[in-house]
Amino acid sequence: MKKVFDTGNAAITEAAIIAGCQIYAGYPITPSTEIAENMSRRLPQAGGYYVQTEDELAGLYTCLGASLGGMKAMTSTSGPGYVLFSDPYGWGISSEIPVVIIDAQRVGPVSGITGAPGQGEFYLSRYPTHGGNYETIVLAPNSVQEAFDMTVRAFYLAERFRTPVTILADQLVTDGWESFEIPETADELKEKGLEIVERKVNCGPEFFPASDEIDIPPVVLGYNTGAACSDWTPTEEGYDIEDPVAHLKHSYRLVYKIRNHRELIDRHEAWFMEDDPEIVLVSYGSPSRVVTSAVKAARAQGIRAGAIRLQSLWPFQDQLFEKKTKYLVVELNFEGQLVREVQRATGENKDVHFYGKCGELPGVHELLQAMKEILSDQKITFEKFVSEAW
Amino acid sequence: MARTEVLISGFGGQGVVRIGQTLGLAAVLSDLHTTMLVSHGTETRGGYVRTQVVISDEQIDSPVIESPDYFCAMSNAAYQRFRHMMDQGTLIYDPGFVTPDDSLGCKQTAVPARNLSAEHFGKELFANMIMYGYIIRRLNGKISKEQAIEALKQRIPRSLEENIKAFELGYAL
Amino acid sequence: MDYLAEKYLRPRKIPSTACSGCGLGQVHKKVVMAIDELGLEQGDVVWGTGIGCAGRQTFNTWKGDNFAGTHGRVYALACGLRIALPPEKKIILTVGDGDAFGIGLLHLLNCARRNVDITVIVCDNFGYQSTGGQFGYTTPRGFRTDSSPYGMFENNWTQNGVDILNILRDAGATFLARHTSFEGHAAVDSIKKAIENKGFSLVHVLYPCVTNFGGRALGSRRPSEIYKWFEQITLKAGEEPEEGQPGFHTGVYYDISNSREEYSSVVKNLTKRVQAGEV
Repeated sequence: MKKVFDTGNAAITEAAIIAGCQIYAGYPITPSTEIAENMSRRLPQAGGYYVQTEDELAGLYTCLGASLGGMKAMTSTSGPGYVLFSDPYGWGISSEIPVVIIDAQRVGPVSGITGAPGQGEFYLSRYPTHGGNYETIVLAPNSVQEAFDMTVRAFYLAERFRTPVTILADQLVTDGWESFEIPETADELKEKGLEIVERKVNCGPEFFPASDEIDIPPVVLGYNTGAACSDWTPTEEGYDIEDPVAHLKHSYRLVYKIRNHRELIDRHEAWFMEDDPEIVLVSYGSPSRVVTSAVKAARAQGIRAGAIRLQSLWPFQDQLFEKKTKYLVVELNFEGQLVREVQRATGENKDVHFYGKCGELPGVHELLQAMKEILSDQKITFEKFVSEAW
Repeated sequence: MARTEVLISGFGGQGVVRIGQTLGLAAVLSDLHTTMLVSHGTETRGGYVRTQVVISDEQIDSPVIESPDYFCAMSNAAYQRFRHMMDQGTLIYDPGFVTPDDSLGCKQTAVPARNLSAEHFGKELFANMIMYGYIIRRLNGKISKEQAIEALKQRIPRSLEENIKAFELGYAL
Repeated sequence: MDYLAEKYLRPRKIPSTACSGCGLGQVHKKVVMAIDELGLEQGDVVWGTGIGCAGRQTFNTWKGDNFAGTHGRVYALACGLRIALPPEKKIILTVGDGDAFGIGLLHLLNCARRNVDITVIVCDNFGYQSTGGQFGYTTPRGFRTDSSPYGMFENNWTQNGVDILNILRDAGATFLARHTSFEGHAAVDSIKKAIENKGFSLVHVLYPCVTNFGGRALGSRRPSEIYKWFEQITLKAGEEPEEGQPGFHTGVYYDISNSREEYSSVVKNLTKRVQAGEV
C-alpha cells in the first residue's frame, strides 16, 4: 500500500483511476474543483480523458454519453451544480447507465458559503430527478480514506446495478487533509475489501426484462446490435411506448433491482450499541467524527451513549432504528433532513431529537450539553437560536 | 502522543496552509495520525486563513479544534478572531503583526518570524517556515527534526535551501 | 422510401405516426438517402434524437444503434459518446428547432466550438408543434401561434439580419447548410457533405407542419397553400426577403470540412502526448 497525506479530493481522484474511470466531465465548483483539476492532470497520465463542460448538465450528460459508448465515467460538483444534475440523473437512472457522481455538500441554498460544509442534499440525493418510480444508491464517507474506498465501491455498484451511484460527501471530507492508503496490487485491493468490475456490454436489441436482476450489462452503443435507449418509457426491446403497463414493468425493474439487493449496498458503523444505550447519536459524513468524540466523552462521564453512523444513506436502513431509546440526530443543516427519516424509521417508539449546525461542525461540548439536556427532558439550547422541538 | 491541537492562522499569502500541510506530513512520516482542515473562500476574503491540525498516536475522531494546545497567530486579525479559544495551551504570535493582550489567561510567546525572515533573506516570504521550525521544537521531539525536514523537502521542493535555513532559525529559538 | 426503408429502417417504426402531410418524413428520407449514397452500412451509423416531432418520430427508426436524449441535451450526450466510440462510426442526430436553437443551444454552440464530430440535422417546423403550436426561434415575426395570438412579438434567429448559422459558424462549426424539405437532391448532397466532414456539421432543413403551423400561422392546412408559402420564402441567389417577411437562401452555407482537428481526436492526442512524456 502506498501511504499518502492529501485531501479527500485527491483520494477520490486516485480511487476513480484505480476503479477504471476513463473519462471525467464536469464544471469547476468549490469545494470539488480540486477533483476536476486532479483529473485533468492524472487521467491523461492513466490513459483517460478530461472534458471541461459548459455547465453541470453537460458534465453529467457527457459522462453518460461516454458510458453509453462503453467507458467508465465520473463527475463531481457541489450543491449549486448538483441541482443542475437533475435532468441527466433522470436520463441515467431510466436508461440504466452506470456513472459515479460526487457531491461535496456546502452551505445553501443557492451559492451560500462556498467554502463551508453543509448537508443539504440528503433528500435531494434520494430524489435527484422528477417523476418517482426509481430508487437511488447513495454512499457517504466521513474521512479521506473512506472517500477513497467508497469511490472504488461506487464504480463497482454502478456497474453491477447499471445505475448512477452518488457519493454524498461534504466540504470537510473533500477539502480536509488526512493520510490514506492506496492499494497497489490486486491482493491489496482485496485486503481492503474492494472489488473492480469491468464494463460488460449488453448488445441488445433487447433493453431489459421486467425483473429485479442485477449484473445484466448496460446498453452500450457501437456494436450494431440494434441496442437502444431513450428518455421515454421503454418496451423490453427499447422502443418508446406510452403505456402504463410498460411503465409499471420499467418502474419495477428500477426500484426492485436495488431494493432486492440491499446486502450489497447497506453499510453502517455502530459504537457502544451493545449495552442498551440511553441515548443514540445518529449522523453521517463529517459530523460523525465529532459525534464519535462526543460519545466517548459522554461514556467517560457515565452517560450511556451510543452512536450510529450511516455509510450508505439510500436506500434508508430502517432496521438500524428498532431499538426503543432516545435518538439525537446531528446534521450540518438547520432545518433537519436525516432526522425526518430517523423519525419515520423509529415508528411508534419515536423519541427523536435534532441538533443542526449551519456551515460548521458542532463542538464536542455542544453535543455533550445537548445529550444531557435530552436525558433530563429539557429542551436543547443552542448557542444562538432555540430550535423547534423534534 | 496524546491528542495535540495546533491552530495556525494568518492572512492569505503568508503560507499558513503550507505550515499545516508540512506539519501534517511530518506527523504522517512519524507514524502518527493526523487531520488537517483548511478554511478558504469567504474566510480568506474575510481577512484570515485558518488551518486546524490535529496530531495523535491514536485514531482521530473529531478533526475540529476546540481547545488548542498551540495557536500560532500570524496576523492581528487572526489573533483577535481566535484568542477566545485559548483557555489553555500556548499562543505563539508574531510581534511584527500582533500586539499581545496581556489579560489573556494562556501562555504567550513571541516569535518574530516576519523580522527574522526579512533580516536573513531580505524578504518576509520565509516567515512561515520559521514558524514551522518553532512549532516542531515546541512539540518536544514528538516529531523528530529529521522527519520535519523530510516533510519540508517533500512538500516544498522550491527554494529548499532557504526554507531549511528558515526552519533551522525557528527551531533554534 | 421502400427500398431504403427495408435496408436501413425498422418496420415497427415505419411508417411513422406523423400527421398526414407532415414534411418530416421527407427530411428523414433525405438523411437515409445520403447515408445510402455514401455507401454506409447499418453498423457505420449510431443515430441520436432529441424531443419534439423530430425526436419522437425518428427515434429508433434506424435498424442499427439508437439513442435519444432529453430536450436539448443530446449534444452533450453525443460529445461523450463521440469520445467513447471508434472514430470511424458516424453519429447522426435528427433534432427539432426548439431542441437545437432554444433549450439546447448552449450545448450545440459548445459542440461547434470544440468541433465535435457529429452531424446535426435540424428538422425545423417553425416552432413547438408537438405541444400544439407555440412560437419558437424561427417563427417569422408577426405570425400567429398558440402562444403569440397577437403575432410573434420577439426577434427570432433567422430574420432582420440575424442568422443562427452565422452564430454557429462563428462558434466554430466546420460545415453548415440550409435547405427545405421540398428541395430534391441538393439537400441530400449537403447532408452527404455534412456526414463526410470529420467535425461539427449542421444542416438546417425547414419543413411544413400542416396541422399546427399551417392551420394557425399560415391560415391553411392545404398542402398546396403551404407549398406556395415555402416557394415564397425560398430565395433565389441575390434575392433578398421582402421587408418584414422571412426568406432563406438554401444550399451549402459554410464549408471548411476536415480543416480543423475534431474534438475526440484532440483529447485522445493529448492523452497520447502526456503518456509519451511530451507535455
